[in-house]
Amino acid sequence: MREKLLKKLAAWHAVYPWRMLAMVLVLTLVSAYSAGHLSVTMRWSDLLPTEDPRTIEFNRIIDEFVSATSLVVVVQGEEKRIKAFADDLAPRISAAYDSRHDIPLFRRVDYKQEVEFLKDHGLLLLKEEDLKDLKAMFMDANLVGLLTNLNDSMEQEYVGKQESISTREKEDQAVMFLDGVENLVTSLQAEVQGDDLSEEDIRTVADKLLWGEPYYLSYDKTTLILNAIPNFTMMDLELVVLGTDAVQEIVDELMLEYPGVTAGLTGFIAIGRDEMYYSEQSLGYTTVIALVAILVLLIASFRMWVAPLLALTNLLVGILWAVGVVAVLVGQLNIMTQMMAVILLGLGIDFSIHLISGFSEWRAAGDSIVEALEKAFLKNGKGVITGAFTTACAFFTLVISSSRGMKEMGLVTGTGLLAILLATFLFLPCLLVLRERRLERKIAKRPSPAAPVSRDISFRFLGNTAAWLGRHYAFTFFTAGLLTVVFVWLGIGITFDHNYLNIEPKGITSVVLQDVILDKFDLSMDYALVLTDDVEQSREIARQYREIGSVAMVEDIAMYLPSPEQQQKRTPHLRAIRDELSSQSLRSQVSPEEVSLVRAEIERLEMNVIEMQDMAFLGGQDKVDSKCQDIVGDPEAADPENLIRSLYRTLGEREHSLLAGFSRFQRAFAPYYRDSVLRMCETQAVRPEDLPLSILDRYSNQNRDQFLVMVFPAGGIWQDAEFLKRFVNDLERVSDRATGMPSVFRALIEVIGKDGRSAVLLTLVIVFFLLWLDFRRPGYALMAMLPLCVGVLWMLGLMKISGMQLTVMNVMGLPMIVGIGIDDGVHIVHRYLEEGKGQLRAIFASTGKAIFLTSLTTMLAFGSLIFSIWRGFGQLGGALFLGVGACFFATVIFLSGIIGFLDRKSAKSPPNEGQS
Amino acid sequence: MKQAVIMLIGVLLGLNSLSGQALSGEEIVKRVNDIMSPASSWAKSKMTITTTSGDKRTFVSESWSKNKGEKNLVRYLEPSRVKGQAVLMLNNADDIWMFFPRTQRVRKLATHAKRQKMQGSDFSYEDMGGGDAFIDDFASTRLEDDTAEGFECYQLELLRKPESDASYSRLRLWVVKENFVPVIIDYYAEKEPERPLKRLVASDIRLVDGIPTAMKMVMFNQEDNTQTEMEFLDVKYNLALDDSLFTERNLKK
Repeated sequence: MREKLLKKLAAWHAVYPWRMLAMVLVLTLVSAYSAGHLSVTMRWSDLLPTEDPRTIEFNRIIDEFVSATSLVVVVQGEEKRIKAFADDLAPRISAAYDSRHDIPLFRRVDYKQEVEFLKDHGLLLLKEEDLKDLKAMFMDANLVGLLTNLNDSMEQEYVGKQESISTREKEDQAVMFLDGVENLVTSLQAEVQGDDLSEEDIRTVADKLLWGEPYYLSYDKTTLILNAIPNFTMMDLELVVLGTDAVQEIVDELMLEYPGVTAGLTGFIAIGRDEMYYSEQSLGYTTVIALVAILVLLIASFRMWVAPLLALTNLLVGILWAVGVVAVLVGQLNIMTQMMAVILLGLGIDFSIHLISGFSEWRAAGDSIVEALEKAFLKNGKGVITGAFTTACAFFTLVISSSRGMKEMGLVTGTGLLAILLATFLFLPCLLVLRERRLERKIAKRPSPAAPVSRDISFRFLGNTAAWLGRHYAFTFFTAGLLTVVFVWLGIGITFDHNYLNIEPKGITSVVLQDVILDKFDLSMDYALVLTDDVEQSREIARQYREIGSVAMVEDIAMYLPSPEQQQKRTPHLRAIRDELSSQSLRSQVSPEEVSLVRAEIERLEMNVIEMQDMAFLGGQDKVDSKCQDIVGDPEAADPENLIRSLYRTLGEREHSLLAGFSRFQRAFAPYYRDSVLRMCETQAVRPEDLPLSILDRYSNQNRDQFLVMVFPAGGIWQDAEFLKRFVNDLERVSDRATGMPSVFRALIEVIGKDGRSAVLLTLVIVFFLLWLDFRRPGYALMAMLPLCVGVLWMLGLMKISGMQLTVMNVMGLPMIVGIGIDDGVHIVHRYLEEGKGQLRAIFASTGKAIFLTSLTTMLAFGSLIFSIWRGFGQLGGALFLGVGACFFATVIFLSGIIGFLDRKSAKSPPNEGQS
Repeated sequence: MKQAVIMLIGVLLGLNSLSGQALSGEEIVKRVNDIMSPASSWAKSKMTITTTSGDKRTFVSESWSKNKGEKNLVRYLEPSRVKGQAVLMLNNADDIWMFFPRTQRVRKLATHAKRQKMQGSDFSYEDMGGGDAFIDDFASTRLEDDTAEGFECYQLELLRKPESDASYSRLRLWVVKENFVPVIIDYYAEKEPERPLKRLVASDIRLVDGIPTAMKMVMFNQEDNTQTEMEFLDVKYNLALDDSLFTERNLKK
């Protein structure tokens, strides 16, 4: 049946090549149209099973929370300049326009705290215990009273209680408090020195004491962040690119106006755009590298250039058909399936090589076009079809995987391979026939046609090697066995790299800036996310997370919406502050008696900061220690720069101007400070509708019926696999709705690992049954499979030797290599069965050459991925490169030994034994 | 003869095992308490903590204790930044004072500091305080004997008494049968009764002044995924220490 079909097809090609070509053209046009609709997703969550709750929650958050996928601008430079840069940049980004939808690209740019909201409700948001300890500092706006209360609060809150600086959130609060102190000291110094501070400068002193730094500024004040909240989602890839490019242009222009200031883009949107751009670019040039390398190899091997060109043309058409079919089947390529073109390039070229080799062989032997094509179809084509179906079936078994990444990889590569197989039987023969007709016409026109030159292009070296290995089969088995033991031993030691950053593109700005944010703000952008149904649930879940050691910080909407009980507990303290402050009279002058009190308090302040510094050093709280160092200097320095001591000295040197300086400061500071504190004492309950849009958008969805809890890890989740596991377990223990990159990636590692194991086993079983069907004897099926099994073990050992680790990307190479590596064994066993006993040298000189070439072309295609900027592609490419090479060598060594052994055995057997 | 020797060994082992069997949880804890809370002691030790930036920081300190650890004084020697800094713990760490040599001031820590981490380590002041806490605050039960850290151990469970204000709800101890040194202590908190909050592993057990002493201790904080190593460089027991050593005034000296 198969033979009949192949014969008919060969005849059809020989007679109607142009008609076949027209049909191919139509198919190609349809495929090209379909391929145009194929989109790409770079989300890791899209690799997990669609029904996985983490995927569902993650995608929901990305879709519904506008702030979850913002574009982050990271500005670096000197504090004042970066603040001015941000003030200039924010309105320009807000003005960026999407002419297609006639709306601004960004709905808002957040780069400052919601100061107005804090002015109204700041004190109500403080915890009761903090209010108890800190309230003294709000009770007097006059300079002496303020300094006294500040010292009292410090001794109460920080010096007397080591706990106050022992957690991340509290450490941050301590740094903010010290920042306010630093600002107060430097401003007093300026006033005393006679620098006429503006009213605005003095108000800033009060603001920083009350609610800290308004800009999103790093601890060392050299880096500032702006969050541009888009009017589009990550789903709209066109706008992702448009929006990112528009902001990049604005930033680049502005940088010209601010020499010394640097700025770059990161965040979900920028990374999404960069990942897409760089993966396309990577795959583009790696495909070109693979194509050129394969072409050069084939030209060198066949010693002609036309046949290799025809093979590549056929392959490209086949890949286009494959992409067209894939667009219909899955509609979207993910991080893994994006590599399908390069993978198919490596695998699909084999079909053409086998067919062209056969056709050329028969033509050289003097057959007519139709005869040669028929023989090529029957002798070589059958092997190609078996090989293609075996590999495709192996890929299709991946469809049983629960992860979308692996499932779609199997579907896409399996279907792609069949599409190329179809092209090889529909398109390539037309090209061969047309070329031969042209050659025949040319030869006919020549006056005395030259006799065809017969070229032996077989690999005699490979044949001789196989013959030697076959003769010394005991040595071959022993050496190969020993080698396998060594590789297994090495392979057992291979480790798994849990760091997903090692898969990402290296050196691109958006990825590098993630590390800058981690370094400067001590904040990982890969935090966990938990959706909750109401504010109370959000409050409760956030509370539970705050008690977990693996959690550094938790943010949620309840931080801005105290519960009725919390409000009830806090209100008396607020009333006390208000009553005390209202009853006080503000003095416009500082009296001479008060000057000595100020001096004493300043000295006390210095001691408090020094003690806080000592406690922070002993407690290992580096940020507090460093901030204290900014104020009282490095205790280990010979002459530490101590701002408070310097102020104290100035007080002694400028006795005459103290009164005037302090009074000036008091007149500007006290009324503003008092009014601000009174305003902050508002006891009216905060309602969700009172919250500013930036806070609402950050923690609730657009319908305001879902609320987000953000959980920041206390350690390096990517550097420490154990910590990642612990953090994710802790997250899931509190809520089964926890998601985000830590959960998604951890789940991916587990799912892909499990899928990989089951896929390898199932693929081996299916391949075995297919080969049993093909060879009709299970022994031959096992014989063909042995090099594959050994090759996989060698591959792991080789990966270890070359310093590779397993990753979520290359672990997929294991089931894939089962499908790819089987071909070598199949072709050799087929040929062995055709040739019969005693033909070991010939088998490997001829078919050995074919499998050598096909292995090499496959290795070149996979190897080209190593040059990809996307390190994940390189990891898979590298693993498959080694795997294909290992399977080839295992085939040559083991099958030479086995065939040699069988030959020897049959030679020793009495002639009638075989017939029994 | 050979048989007789084997029988004798068997009888001795049996007796040893019988005497072990006879000990109740309370009795074992009492023996542990005697070892862990000697009448008085002096030690020079080294402790390594991990700072919030992930760096390691090592402190060397000298410490004195009296009344079975009810009074404790720790004075830092190294690094130079903390030299002279001192902590005084009285009433089993219910009252804690700190001395800062740079300002020459002594500050009292808040009353609940006892339960907090001591100087960024995974030990709390409560863990460092001695006294008869194991006996006074917990009721003990002997569990099935076990092997831990290569030693044959008694296994004990200590449950907090209702009247106690100890911060741990439950402790689990593996006590070496040979010398009554607890080689592992698991600390449980109320919020997570099944997963230990911290685990203390003791090693390098030496006989110092007749008292078996674990010269090295590692506290694993399972919650924060951190650990603190403490090593005794030198230890002396049963010294005549004056009460004036454990006073606020002496802190400044």
